Amino acid sequence: MNSVAMFTLMKREMVRSLKIINQVIWPPVITTLLYVSIFGLALGTRIKSVQGVSYAEFLIPGLIMLQVIDSSYGECSSSVFQGRFMNSIQEMLIAPMSAGEMVFGYILGSLARAVLIANMIMALGFFLVHTLPSNWPLYFGVMTMVSILFSALGLIFGLMAEKFDHLAVLTTFAITPLVFVGGVFTSAQQLPPPLRHAELANPMFYTIDAFRYSYTGQSYLPLWLSVTAIAALMLLAMGIALRMALAGYKLRT
Amino acid sequence: MTAGSIRIYGYDNVTQWRQARRLIGLAPQEYNFDRYLSIRDILIYQAGYFGLKPVDVTERADMLLERFGLASKAKQDYMKLSGGMKRRLTLARALIHSPKLLILDEPTAGVDVELRLELWDLLRELNGDGMTVVLTTHYLEEAEALCRNIGIIRAGKLVALEPTRDLLDREGKRLQDVFLELTR
Repeated sequence: MNSVAMFTLMKREMVRSLKIINQVIWPPVITTLLYVSIFGLALGTRIKSVQGVSYAEFLIPGLIMLQVIDSSYGECSSSVFQGRFMNSIQEMLIAPMSAGEMVFGYILGSLARAVLIANMIMALGFFLVHTLPSNWPLYFGVMTMVSILFSALGLIFGLMAEKFDHLAVLTTFAITPLVFVGGVFTSAQQLPPPLRHAELANPMFYTIDAFRYSYTGQSYLPLWLSVTAIAALMLLAMGIALRMALAGYKLRT
Repeated sequence: MTAGSIRIYGYDNVTQWRQARRLIGLAPQEYNFDRYLSIRDILIYQAGYFGLKPVDVTERADMLLERFGLASKAKQDYMKLSGGMKRRLTLARALIHSPKLLILDEPTAGVDVELRLELWDLLRELNGDGMTVVLTTHYLEEAEALCRNIGIIRAGKLVALEPTRDLLDREGKRLQDVFLELTR
């Protein structure tokens, strides 16, 4: 196994993120600051406690998940597509680097960025709302699985896209709407029964519900169910991404 | 590839692809550098993809930058380089992992006469050091001046593969005339 190649790619992805820090690191942190200030601290004071915590405390884990999902998908999809567009991905294709090493290299780079952003928001939550995760293994575990899931989806769309515009299709029409209705701002218990049942078909709901448990110790669904659903989706997305990379889909064909 | 097999110094390019790829350096015609890396890092990261750690390759990267006249630009972005410098960086990157076989795709396409002669000298030097160089070119005088063996491809088929001297002696003509006869 060429682990040096895999970690070189991971490092390269981190260098890329830092080079475009004003596009990819600061915006999610500042957006979250605005969400917490406006929805959590200003409007949220008029809302009674949600799941036994203040609305601002309820909001923080949802906002972290929102940014983990967005940043993981964005990182992998744009980096892979840009590599194909500029042909710089050929630097890896001519090297003794397997499809798996390439996929994991991209995913690890994306995960590093997601963890950095998540922890910055977590710190923000501590200073502004005085809330911290109560279950750290779950905090990092769910975050890692969700980041891998959306990084793999980013890889798939980065390989399929024919132009930059295509990358936005999944974000605009699926990820953003599903995350926003998936429990970032509201608890499923606050929704009318038909919508509450519809949430079960929204994959984002499982990610946010499980992640919020690491903060509040409470979830709408049984924790094992959410974690199993996330793990299954993660394995499926990774399997597809690996298969596409192995076949050289739009890389060698 | 639909049929046959390729062996690089005895290694099959499909079943022993890691060993085979380690021995090949490729300089493509189009510039395909990583825009997020400095010129020095372009070499170091390329070596990383070949499994070489930065600590083992930094000295060689600096040596190559010096040899190719790029040392003063090491920390710069590649987009600030002139066309000739980019061409030299392509060669330096292809050599960073010390390959035994160098494949060059139109290395002098679109470069001025001065740089072309400079690149010719570099290629002769590399070949003199024991490296096998496979060169694709549309400039017949380049093939005549640099190559010991010439292959001519027409419509995807190899119509000639001979030592340069034999090809020219047999026909008693210039390479351009031989080429035109074989490809018409």
